[in-house]
Amino acid sequence: MELQKNLRVIILAELLVPLTLFIFGAYHGVLQAMYQAGVIRATKFAGIDYYQGLTAHGVINAIVLTTFFAVALGYATVSQELKSPLSISGALISMVLMLGGSVMAAVMIFMGKASVLYTFYPPLMAHPLFYLGLAVFIVGSWIPLWTWIPVYLRWRKEHPGRKTPMGVVGMFTTFIVWQMCTLPVAFEVLVQLLPWSLGWTPGVNIMLSRTLFWFFGHPLVYFWLLPTYMMYYTMLPKLAGGKLFSDFAGRFTFMAFILLSCPLGLHHQFADPGITTTSKGIQTVLTLFVAIPSLLTAFTLAASLELGGRNRGGQGLFGWWKKLPYFEGERWLFPYLFCGLIIFLFGGITGIVNASYSMNNVIHNTSWLPAHFHLTLGGPVFLGILGGSLFMITGLLKRPVVSTTMAMIVPYMWMIGTFIFSSGLFLNGLRGAPRRTNMGMTYLNPASPSYRPDWWLGANMGMIGGCIMGLACVLFFTVLIRSLLAAPDPALANVPFALPMSEPYHDENMPAVRNFTPWVTVAVLLCVAAYYVPIRDIVKNGEITKPGFTPDNPAAVQTVH
Amino acid sequence: MAINILEKRALMGAVAFVMLSLALTAYATWGLGINVASCIPLGTKPFEEASVVKHDGNIYEVHYVTRMWAFEPNVLRVPTGSTLDIYAMSKDVTHGLEIAGTNVNLMVVPGAVASGRVRFNKPGIYSMVCHEFCGKGHENMNARIEVVDGLNDFAVEGLPSSPGMKLMDSKGCLACHSIDGSAGVGPTFKGAWGSTVKMTDGSTRKLDEGFFSDMVQHPTVYSVDGFAPVMPEIQLSADEMKQMEDYLKELKK
Repeated sequence: MELQKNLRVIILAELLVPLTLFIFGAYHGVLQAMYQAGVIRATKFAGIDYYQGLTAHGVINAIVLTTFFAVALGYATVSQELKSPLSISGALISMVLMLGGSVMAAVMIFMGKASVLYTFYPPLMAHPLFYLGLAVFIVGSWIPLWTWIPVYLRWRKEHPGRKTPMGVVGMFTTFIVWQMCTLPVAFEVLVQLLPWSLGWTPGVNIMLSRTLFWFFGHPLVYFWLLPTYMMYYTMLPKLAGGKLFSDFAGRFTFMAFILLSCPLGLHHQFADPGITTTSKGIQTVLTLFVAIPSLLTAFTLAASLELGGRNRGGQGLFGWWKKLPYFEGERWLFPYLFCGLIIFLFGGITGIVNASYSMNNVIHNTSWLPAHFHLTLGGPVFLGILGGSLFMITGLLKRPVVSTTMAMIVPYMWMIGTFIFSSGLFLNGLRGAPRRTNMGMTYLNPASPSYRPDWWLGANMGMIGGCIMGLACVLFFTVLIRSLLAAPDPALANVPFALPMSEPYHDENMPAVRNFTPWVTVAVLLCVAAYYVPIRDIVKNGEITKPGFTPDNPAAVQTVH
Repeated sequence: MAINILEKRALMGAVAFVMLSLALTAYATWGLGINVASCIPLGTKPFEEASVVKHDGNIYEVHYVTRMWAFEPNVLRVPTGSTLDIYAMSKDVTHGLEIAGTNVNLMVVPGAVASGRVRFNKPGIYSMVCHEFCGKGHENMNARIEVVDGLNDFAVEGLPSSPGMKLMDSKGCLACHSIDGSAGVGPTFKGAWGSTVKMTDGSTRKLDEGFFSDMVQHPTVYSVDGFAPVMPEIQLSADEMKQMEDYLKELKK
């Protein structure tokens, strides 16, 4: 079945607009690596201030690009797998709100009125329109799930006893997690920050806003990852020439993410005052449990790749490795998913360091953190978005991918770049170099009294890696633009667009992982159990602070914007 | 159909891995005694001024004040083998306080007091770094702890001393204007008094009582060449104005 025509247009817009914004995000990523190494030794370059560009890099790459991609992939998957038309008006309203919110926030950032980074911690204060833009964007992203639910319920009624297709499980999990975790941040933005920035309230409870932010901030990480997980469990085995090793593993993994995504944000606040070590400890335990679905995924995907390799003639203990489609034009999507998976191994391991309570003392807020999340968000998530977007855009427009060879170089080049980049930043993190800092001005400046020659190596590795990553982006956009300009392929004209979906190899029947409701219910209870005490303490004892500060002025904000 | 035996083993392996991680974390916390930032109850009234107090047994209690974009005290010198009990508060936004190469790694959130403890067994210069974005001067916000062999007592630099300096500190002037000649958001105060200042419109003015008073009252009207016109208006009494002028004259030397 072909997707509805209007839905195809909406999906294309939701992929192309954020990718266009991402050109700036990528450009400034490369610049940041240069600022850090002291190659650019200035507070601004080409009209954009370092922290202004850093804010745009974070908001565009980590929030706008990721959310739009999840929505677009969700629409394509749910409609295809349930073989049902979806609400066009819902999709349209959602897209308009998300685009409107993005534009509002982006304009404020580029006007220099919101250089508060994507964490926007008060009492740093941005322009009210920045907060409003974020709120409108989030509300827009809530709509798709609620329009899919009735379609899904009808499908279940019409298909009694049938398993929900894995792709639908993956996309519903993505948006259930998103719905749960965005409620607190919507409260923070709409109830705390927006009225405060308008001068309507005298202040905000800073610890409460930090805690609400991280209630959102960590599940956000899983929201980034889950669409890629969905592609790993459905597309990767098929592209490798095999089947998904275990149907149970996929369903269990998604349900585990519903359960565990939210009640663990405090592990971002290990270094915060005002939260007891007991609360921090409880959420440490919950955080480490996330390793279970992740390790199970690692095993299941490796086993699925092995099935593919053996189907393609690979033999012996390791012989099947040689038979995977690492560089085959008609399976150009494979390396995007495969390289992301390899990068993610290192992202996962370093994430366990961050989550391990007292070990966080060594690396908290150092450049270890960006090193880590450029191996998760910048690895599997980003490559999934690039590959998935190119696949959907060309597929929906019935165009060929022009130069699949160049398209396949992108993920390998990106992988090499991120490994060099992150190795440098890991090294510096262990030596205490701070994250989010224009280091070239002081720490990497031989003329400054704060010069740290021992941070030179890491910062320069970061720059070399960052440039390679930038080059990979240039190649990707070359392929994308050439494909957009190509004439539609007549051979594709009558082939309906379809995302590749694997069959299961072991099709276990475990009723416990086939129903969302119990998992969502327990997840909500876990959130209450994990957050009740710290939030009660913070609300009762946290100080309502005085006025806000704009990033360029140490004197408090006096006047209303 | 039951779960495949290999899949089951993988699941057990994952559970075992998590248990091992938890056991190691518990050992690090209780066995080795390395905990995360301890909890000064919220609502504890933060201190207002930086200070260092020497206690028995080579223990120093240090109250750090953090603000855009400096730590007070800026330099702290202590003998090798000292233990520092560190408390930190913020006068404005959220800052970070990390002593590179140690386990002291704190968020300094306004309205709360952060605390940590560190023992310095090796002499050397330790960087204290602000690792949370705190505004455009963030990369300038750092301090030093110098651990020196054979020292009898501690010494500090960068604490407000004269009344004029205290006043400038409390009004926030020193966040942008350095007193040691280093670069900042605004021009340095070191040697500034009596010097000739080039304005954005190309004219020049001498920094004397008249220009100082103009600048304090109408900072957006008089913009100095090479600096962004971001200075806020500051309300000062005649007495306060005089104290600041005296301090600027002192810095001329």
